[in-house]
Amino acid sequence: MNQAELILFIVKLWGAAGALVAIPFLIFGIDRLDEDARGAYVFRPLLVPGILLIWPLILWRWYILADGKDEWSHRYRPRRHNHQWFAMIMPVAIIVIIVAGLSVRQSWPADILPERLAPPAEVSE
Amino acid sequence: MSVKYIPVQWNRNKWLYDAVMLVGVVLFLWLFIFVSPELLSHEFPINPQVHNARAFGACAFVMLTVILCIGPLARIDRRFLPLLYNRRHFGVMTVFVAITHASYILNWYFAFSSSDKYEALLFANTSYGQLAGFPFEIFGVFALLCLAVLAATSHDFWMKFLTPPVWKRIHSLIYFAYLAVVAHVSLGILQDQQNHTFTVIFIGGALAVAGLHAYAAMLDWRGGDERGADIDGWIDICDAGDIREGFAKIKILPSGDRVAVFRQDGRLSAISNACAHQNGPLGEGRVIDCLVTCPWHGFQYDVTNGRSPAPFTEMVPTYNIRLNGAGVQVHRDANPPGTYVEPVQIEVTA
Amino acid sequence: MSDKNNPFFVGYLPVPGPLRRFLLLASVLVVATFLLTGLLIGSTQDEPPASGFRFDYGRQTVTGVIELTPYPLLRVTQGNDLIKPGKTLMLTSGGKAGVDMRAMGLEGQLATVSGIILQRGTIDMMQLRGGRQGLAAAEGDPPEMVTEQLGRWKVAGEICDGKCLNGAMRPGRGLAHKACANLCLLGDVPPVFVSTQPIEGSDFMLITGPDGTRLPDAAYNYIGQFISLEGDLERRGDILVLRMDTTTMELIDG
Repeated sequence: MNQAELILFIVKLWGAAGALVAIPFLIFGIDRLDEDARGAYVFRPLLVPGILLIWPLILWRWYILADGKDEWSHRYRPRRHNHQWFAMIMPVAIIVIIVAGLSVRQSWPADILPERLAPPAEVSE
Repeated sequence: MSVKYIPVQWNRNKWLYDAVMLVGVVLFLWLFIFVSPELLSHEFPINPQVHNARAFGACAFVMLTVILCIGPLARIDRRFLPLLYNRRHFGVMTVFVAITHASYILNWYFAFSSSDKYEALLFANTSYGQLAGFPFEIFGVFALLCLAVLAATSHDFWMKFLTPPVWKRIHSLIYFAYLAVVAHVSLGILQDQQNHTFTVIFIGGALAVAGLHAYAAMLDWRGGDERGADIDGWIDICDAGDIREGFAKIKILPSGDRVAVFRQDGRLSAISNACAHQNGPLGEGRVIDCLVTCPWHGFQYDVTNGRSPAPFTEMVPTYNIRLNGAGVQVHRDANPPGTYVEPVQIEVTA
Repeated sequence: MSDKNNPFFVGYLPVPGPLRRFLLLASVLVVATFLLTGLLIGSTQDEPPASGFRFDYGRQTVTGVIELTPYPLLRVTQGNDLIKPGKTLMLTSGGKAGVDMRAMGLEGQLATVSGIILQRGTIDMMQLRGGRQGLAAAEGDPPEMVTEQLGRWKVAGEICDGKCLNGAMRPGRGLAHKACANLCLLGDVPPVFVSTQPIEGSDFMLITGPDGTRLPDAAYNYIGQFISLEGDLERRGDILVLRMDTTTMELIDG
């Protein structure tokens, strides 16, 4: 198995594990965790792609909520400092990336002439 | 909002919003795909697959750029807030455009070989040790993956389930996705293109995103909310008369949380500044029909107990509040969401 | 932060009057942005060079001598109206695959090939039909073929996959196309070197590794970039073959 196959195999495993989480979560888990989901079924297929992608997070939240360990104060603590940080770093990074890209850009060296370094050897083949 | 989940909540403004964005995207693609080949009139035309891939790729870039400009614009000028209102729909639209770009590329540049096209995508170019010739496709894969996570977790269920701070943190991936897109373009098409129209548009768009974010961050940093000092557990907010009827003053508590002190009918109440829905800044909203209304998505709360009106079930924490002379003070510890706190009456001033 | 004069937008309520004009303007701006960028980006793409499959010529069938460089060439001995004797064709299969395995047993022998021509400047390639319909041994004794040695050269330009360069894909070279080119070359499609200036009348030449080997692994890091390299040049019919000296490959500044 080459590296590319290995990576794709891991991706498939990840998705399969997600499917294993999605089925019980959407059939009964969600009803216990969120009262707004009770009796609401049409929206559930919409959640499937999300579960396939971030299923470990689902398991973690499922565990926290089912165990009653959810700390209410955490819900009201937006990470505004993080956001400020992103807003400061991103502009710099954008400029660095574009400058790096343009600095390695080549233009067709049309003026370079081919040059014969040596004549053919006396005896060929 | 609360009450039973449905796949998509529509209202007139959302329809209008989506219609405007859809018109923009359809116009872009129509002009690019169907009109531009006529204008180019190349004798040996660009392959339709490449032409279409470019159309969808460029469209996704413009969409992402517009999306990322909305956030800082809304902080710089509040009149842009309506553009923020339904940004999620626009984001989901972007993912579909980006996926179309990716499939044109996969089914053209990475197809027709004896290998699986997804494997080919990973092994065809492995020059990771250099900038020019770097496998820039991998940046595209990363960006697409980020966008897919954002789109797949855009339903309101996710916000409530993951909690708004975790949800927001996941959705900060948009910044990394944008950087990856910038790298994807800079190390990809920008290396080859001889006509620089796209280069100029690309750099202009990316610099607009960069500049707006830097400017909004600077404004936040200079004119942001103030931190209140803790005196025996009580924090001074301001003079009671400074709060206008129907509006709030925001203060940062020693814990780092923000409190919003509202005045309604000449009485003051304090609630968390973070909306239960997406942690939007409630204190920047106003009272409408006796209810505090979030400026982001219009979630509403009774200011005395932090509860949404029935049948909705959202709640935010409240804070104990008192007058100290002319000044208003709030207790540093939040009450559990939905706790009733008796508002304090102030002298009615002009 | 709040301002009494600022209209307050609530998504599920009608838009306040003063905000309507602003939002109308913003909507027009957004749509105009898409309209302008779509039109401008779409209509300013570079023109691909004259190259491509010549389906208009129809299927061609010619006979000649197979030579392995190691990439297989056909030195045409019995041509037709379009492909004259003395012409040399690079050979490839459909898709991103060469015909090395099919040509292997036929080195130095007469063979008949059939397929579609890909043309770019003076260099021609034939995409063979599948199986024996595309490539089969032909009756007769193969004539002696001359390979003219042209000496050691230093050249500047770009290594591409011969098929895409010849117009199987447009555009078919450069860094945005690099992964595709690599994929073709890994599939044994003949690599072509594009020279900055013609050598012996030709801008394009088949390029191989040293001493009759395939394109060396080291070359894959340079595909699509502008490089200079040295190598031994030879002429086989109307095609040049450059046997690169791997150690001399270097990027050109700027």
